[in-house]
Amino acid sequence: MDGTVIGIVAFACVIGLLAVRVPIAFALAGVATVGTFVIFAFRTGTFAPERALKPTTSLVFSNSFDLIHSYDLSMIPLFIALGHIAYRAEITTKIYQAARVWLASVPGGVAMASVVGCGGFSAITGSSIACASTMGRICSPEMLRMGYDKRLATASVAAGGTLGSLIPPSVLFIIYGIFTETSISALFLAGILPGLISLLGFVLVIFVWVRRTPEAAPRFEGQITMRDRGRAALDSWPAIGLFVIIVGGIYGGIFTATEAAAVCVSAAVAIGFAQGKLDLRGVIESLRETCIQTASIFLIAAAAKIFVAFIALTGVAPSIVSAVTDAQLSPVMLLAAIAVIYLVLGMFLDPIGIMVLTLPLMIPLVENYGFDLIWFGVVIIKLLEIGLITPPVGLNVFVIANVVGKDVAIDRIFSGILRFLTVDVIVLILIMAFPVISLLIPNSM
Amino acid sequence: MLRRVEKLLLDLAVVAVVGLGVLITGSVFLRAAFNSGIPDTIVIVRELMVAAIVLPLAVATLDRAHIVVEFLSKMMPLRVQDWLLVGGSAFGLFALSPLIYAGWREVAHTVESGAFFFGQLNLPKWPGRVVFLVGISFCWLRLLLMVIGDIRTIRAGGSVVSPDHEHEESV
Amino acid sequence: DTTLILGEAGPNRGARAAALQSFADDVTARTNGEVNIDIQWGGALFKANAAAQAIADGVADLGTVIAVYFPQEMLSYSFADLPMRNEDAWVGMRATDELMRTSDAITKSLADQNLVYIGTFTTSAVNIACKDVAIRRVEDIAGLKVRGVGAYGDTFRDFGANMVAMPIYDAYQGLDTGLLNCSQGYSYAVAALKQQEVMTSYTLLNWGQVGALGIFMNKDVYDSLDAETQSAMADAGIAMADKLGELITAANDAALETMKDAGVEVVDLPAGERDKLVQQGKQYVDEWVERANAAGLDGTSLLEQYRTLLEKYAEERDGQGYPWARG
Ligand code: NA
Ligand code: NA
Repeated sequence: MDGTVIGIVAFACVIGLLAVRVPIAFALAGVATVGTFVIFAFRTGTFAPERALKPTTSLVFSNSFDLIHSYDLSMIPLFIALGHIAYRAEITTKIYQAARVWLASVPGGVAMASVVGCGGFSAITGSSIACASTMGRICSPEMLRMGYDKRLATASVAAGGTLGSLIPPSVLFIIYGIFTETSISALFLAGILPGLISLLGFVLVIFVWVRRTPEAAPRFEGQITMRDRGRAALDSWPAIGLFVIIVGGIYGGIFTATEAAAVCVSAAVAIGFAQGKLDLRGVIESLRETCIQTASIFLIAAAAKIFVAFIALTGVAPSIVSAVTDAQLSPVMLLAAIAVIYLVLGMFLDPIGIMVLTLPLMIPLVENYGFDLIWFGVVIIKLLEIGLITPPVGLNVFVIANVVGKDVAIDRIFSGILRFLTVDVIVLILIMAFPVISLLIPNSM
Repeated sequence: MLRRVEKLLLDLAVVAVVGLGVLITGSVFLRAAFNSGIPDTIVIVRELMVAAIVLPLAVATLDRAHIVVEFLSKMMPLRVQDWLLVGGSAFGLFALSPLIYAGWREVAHTVESGAFFFGQLNLPKWPGRVVFLVGISFCWLRLLLMVIGDIRTIRAGGSVVSPDHEHEESV
Repeated sequence: DTTLILGEAGPNRGARAAALQSFADDVTARTNGEVNIDIQWGGALFKANAAAQAIADGVADLGTVIAVYFPQEMLSYSFADLPMRNEDAWVGMRATDELMRTSDAITKSLADQNLVYIGTFTTSAVNIACKDVAIRRVEDIAGLKVRGVGAYGDTFRDFGANMVAMPIYDAYQGLDTGLLNCSQGYSYAVAALKQQEVMTSYTLLNWGQVGALGIFMNKDVYDSLDAETQSAMADAGIAMADKLGELITAANDAALETMKDAGVEVVDLPAGERDKLVQQGKQYVDEWVERANAAGLDGTSLLEQYRTLLEKYAEERDGQGYPWARG
């Protein structure tokens, strides 16, 4: 049986299962398991199910277990815990009060501040998922509490989280650099301007959104004196202190980006206890919530990893790339085709999975066209970032849905995402059309 | 009884997260202050990650915390939504079964071969595998009980998608 | 026609990837196109720490196994990781390859796990890159924050280094911020990761290499092949060592040039200092022998054979030059 056909049928099955309300993790894992079984059973041409059992279960186990059994990903539960503990210790509330007071005259100012906060957090973490899960836990509940439109309060942070891989450091750029033998530091520099432009675009979306529907972002009522502003700024010292600890620690050579999460949680707990806002029971409750949320996020991520391994077996990716190669497209058409391919794959697969499946074949192709690999890397990462917020499988959206709980349905977040996606596509076209946006900083170093 | 076990598993996961925080912060502190460290930090963190993530799965399932896409099903009658929810859980039973089977094989293999991680302490590989198997198994068991319970509720005329639906309408 | 799936955790770039691709092409050529090898790069099918089990279970028909992830299962292979003055990439690979093929004890130990040895790689000689310090004598090691590799790292710890655990890809940032003073590595990898941008010295240790990584095959699949195909795979496996030897030697030379051009001081560790490392590292060699004995492998005899083979191929190199440099 043709692997490509099996792959396409599998994509359709996932959509079908999601439509009938099967949890995302189960849909991905279940379809991948059946598909893998079918491929192994037909390996020798005849149907031999007894030979498929061992390799299928081995593939399913190793891919899910190894994803969880990870040192680097330990930052995710720890950053989620940071969000919970900072919320309970009122560290986040204080910084939001400050933002609200200082940005009272800016419509949607708090949402804009949240997106800018995502940009700042991106400079600390290399992972979009970590960025979304931390900022989602910190920003969305505060915005919801202020009466922000649910879609705005969640979608802005889901979109802002995608800055995590564009603004250095970035795990995706590191993997791209390894697959292309390009300078990782040059890639990091190349991501800065496109990241900032994306950030600006997101702020613009919020501006237009609130301009059109002012009730989406309630204004601060009443008079604000300079005294209020000073007080609010002073009260927000723990949040600023945490930020200084992280940035100073990473760039001062005291700890790695992965270790930063743990140090920060410890510091937040210490601040909470010192201020009398936190007790042991509060910490335990926060960590229980952390564990439940982390579990369901990782269940999806593990299922997505199984799905990637299954897609690798189907050979779908090589057939797509060789179809594009054979078509002998013009450079512009090739770029358009690549965009479409990555956007479609991004609907279903996670960024690392897509890179691993496609880059070995895609890079020689674009090298033949004489594309600059640093610039192409930025294009690819931007495409993959967009995939994190597109339905049906949009990991960043799931993360936000997960941390805000049942208050906001996932469809509402996706519908809010649409406006941010529009800007993302415009930014993408800018990055593709003007390589100088990406290459300006690395070339001037 | 099962709820108690699940609560215990959740609290063990909490202990694992505390362990992650203390272990990593501790090794940063020892390095910065005394130019020393904790042996095999990376291996221990990895093993703790399994506990932190897999052990709470049963409680997450009980909380119905697994993320679903609802916009299509929401347009359907409540009765259909109820059955779709049950169907989703039942599909989960199917999707998790291979993990339990493979988990058994993996536990047996690592125990039998005496496999361990390279490092100063040569820590054995089996504990993480056992924790994984335990977490997934209890998640599966919880799903099974929920499928049975949900079917009973629906048969009895109740709703599982919005349990207080009838109540709302009568207000 | 047979298509075999090969799982590889690394990317399709660099010397090792080129050698692996040449192995795949070589197998096809030697079987007159009968056998094709479909390589799944980047750990798409399984990560490096699941490779041995995944291949044994048939997730892939064959694949790259890195012994350090399987200290128990790959005990019979990990002699190639030991620090015992085996720093020449080609000599190390050919000696390892011959021992892996000819030792019945090793073959049986692998067969018990449903695996067959096909061919070996190496990461080449372990050296050390530092920022703002330079290792000229073993006394310089004390107090440094070092990212280390296997028994080489353990030996550095014995000399007073504070070992910092992090992936090699983070070493760039670690050196840059001062989190690390030094990072152990292999010349071509150091250059590929652009560490010359942040380091100031590079000490050639002339000590040993990490050589226990290679291709293994699912035994059931291997047994189902006819004898001709089996021997074609063996020949391609040996040829792969020559190919990687050629590529990695050139890549390492070029990397050293790149470092020198970037203003990095390249230090050759004096023989007397190197001997102190070898002496201190001996306990890890002895540890391996003990564990091998406990597993019924006769570690002493295996290491003896390995030393003899290292000498044999060193002589061949000295007498005839490397195979790729011969007329
Ligand atoms: Na980042
Ligand atoms: Na998507």
